[in-house]
Amino acid sequence: MRILLIEDEADLLVSLTRALREEGYAADTATDGEEGLYKATEVSYDAIVLDVMLPRLDGWEVLERLRESRRTPVLMLTARDAARDRVRGLDAGADDYLVKPFDLEELFARLRAIIRRAAGQTMNTFEIGGVVVDTASRKVTRSGNPVALTAREYCLLEFLVLHRGETVTRTALYEHLFDEDDDSLSNLLDVHVSNLRKKLGHELIETRRGHGYCIE
Amino acid sequence: MKFFHSIRWRLQLWHGLLLALVLSGFGFTAWRLQRENQMGRVDHELEQRMGLVEGSMRPRDAPGPDAPRWSSREQNLFDGMPGQAFYFVVWLRDGRQGAVSAAAPSGVPQPERIPGPPVFRSRGAFRECFHDTPEGSCVLVGRDIGDELAGLRRTAWLLAGSGGAVFLLGLTGGWWIAARALRPIAEISATATKISDGDLAQRIRPDDSESELGQLARDLNNTFARLQAAFARQAQFTADASHELRTPVAVVLAQTQSALARERPAAEYRESLAACGRAAQRMRGLIESLLMLARFDSDETPEAPERCDLSRIAEESVALLKPLADENNVRLDVETTPAHCWGNAGQLAQAAGNIVGNAIHYNRPGGTVRVMVHPEADGAVLIVADTGQGINTEDLPHIFERFYRAEKSRPEGREHSGLGLAIAKAIIEKHGGTIDVTSESGVGTTFRVRFSAG
Repeated sequence: MRILLIEDEADLLVSLTRALREEGYAADTATDGEEGLYKATEVSYDAIVLDVMLPRLDGWEVLERLRESRRTPVLMLTARDAARDRVRGLDAGADDYLVKPFDLEELFARLRAIIRRAAGQTMNTFEIGGVVVDTASRKVTRSGNPVALTAREYCLLEFLVLHRGETVTRTALYEHLFDEDDDSLSNLLDVHVSNLRKKLGHELIETRRGHGYCIE
Repeated sequence: MKFFHSIRWRLQLWHGLLLALVLSGFGFTAWRLQRENQMGRVDHELEQRMGLVEGSMRPRDAPGPDAPRWSSREQNLFDGMPGQAFYFVVWLRDGRQGAVSAAAPSGVPQPERIPGPPVFRSRGAFRECFHDTPEGSCVLVGRDIGDELAGLRRTAWLLAGSGGAVFLLGLTGGWWIAARALRPIAEISATATKISDGDLAQRIRPDDSESELGQLARDLNNTFARLQAAFARQAQFTADASHELRTPVAVVLAQTQSALARERPAAEYRESLAACGRAAQRMRGLIESLLMLARFDSDETPEAPERCDLSRIAEESVALLKPLADENNVRLDVETTPAHCWGNAGQLAQAAGNIVGNAIHYNRPGGTVRVMVHPEADGAVLIVADTGQGINTEDLPHIFERFYRAEKSRPEGREHSGLGLAIAKAIIEKHGGTIDVTSESGVGTTFRVRFSAG
């Protein structure tokens, strides 16, 4: 899952980025509206966290212009608690709205929810064969036994599960699992897939040669 | 006793009392006049007949006879008029009863002898006049005045009846007028109750805008409007203040929660603590600004003013802001002539610093801030001119409002609370000074602060 954080408050941006990356997300950052809009339009993010008060271009405008080209789920962050502002944000095409100050846990939960909704899923748990993926608690079990996955492995699995039945290209996977600061080589993907197969069974993730991976 | 404290009831009581007094006074006087008029006529007739009786009894040569000698026409004056039964009784000198007319009632008591002119008396339904003649006999002429007395009684009843009717009419009218006059008060009271219940948008609808109560309603409405505006400003201020506090609190929460999520190297903890420290500094600055404004708002008595040199104050403020100007690549030009004013040097320095800081903040890189102080005819003037992009005409009236930012999006660079100019204005006005601003788009903004020397 790749997230774009658009926030001009440096100290907030640093801690949010760190927390998101530790959760296994790939996190890109932008510190003003123009940069944010550029990145949001160029890259296919799984979700965008957008502050309302931004230099150059405020959050409303970024959202408005982004909606001309992309349906990326957007979580608005704002210091204004007026109902009028919340309504405005949701009307402008924001998928959710969070008022500062907030708990990181709540931010993560809301991000998971908007990503799941954007993927057309309403459930938190998915069962494939004997493997159960709980996206709320980020726990995976195989035949009832918990399986320990690294954050990156989990994210790879979750991405494939959310796009169940679709063939996901290696490029798409790479784009959604690694952020702009990540200089990992693309063959790292194969390592993660192979690790997942070892832990969850070889038949779970199919390789579509020349196309990508798929979970049926 | 709520009853006695009601204005309406008290008005009604006084009004009723006054009306009763006036009506009874008029009625009684009218009745008295009527009675005197009637009695006067009766007495006049009695007096005439008294003369007749006495004249006809006056002796010519012999001792007085005991009966009048008169013609039948004169006799008719006593017996002939139906309904006006005059009678006479004569008592002789020795006290014996002499002549008595036919119509005289029986048992007319002999009056006491009172020398002098004829005397009148009322005896039941009879009016009588008696006189001692020079010859020593006593002549009494009387008449039944039953009809007149009945007429007077009718008049009295009529007066009482019409008086009572007028009284009731007056009371009803008074009640109605009092109710009408007091109705606006009820309206005012109802509106005030709604306002005290929290609905500040309520206003009194004055029925009659020309009356005293209409004036009162207008005055109250103005007061309510000012209260509502003050309340709205306060609410906006509180919302803005909490809004300004939200971001640093968000920083602290995010930093601490992410730092505590797992074991980390010491450097990361240090970074988090430093970020929390910066957020706390920001909150402290904001709280200090808010407290300062609250102090100005509560209008605490100012410390004893001292004579200050505005040019030195401005120079010191500029010196303090030099690092900020360098950081923003803004040149500071200072031209000062000693100019004096009265006030608190620390507060004036804060005001000057806020204005100059604002000018640096909104300047363009490579721009200039000119700070000028010079004396004026009756005081001192401080001018701060920047070469920034200027302020839009629609923003200009609002720039001294708390938390007002001309840009909808946050300005870049140093954190700005949006209170600097509001504080400067509060300080300047507390010192009896004025601040005004002119701005030209693309050229720059100029602030002029004037203090009187007095």
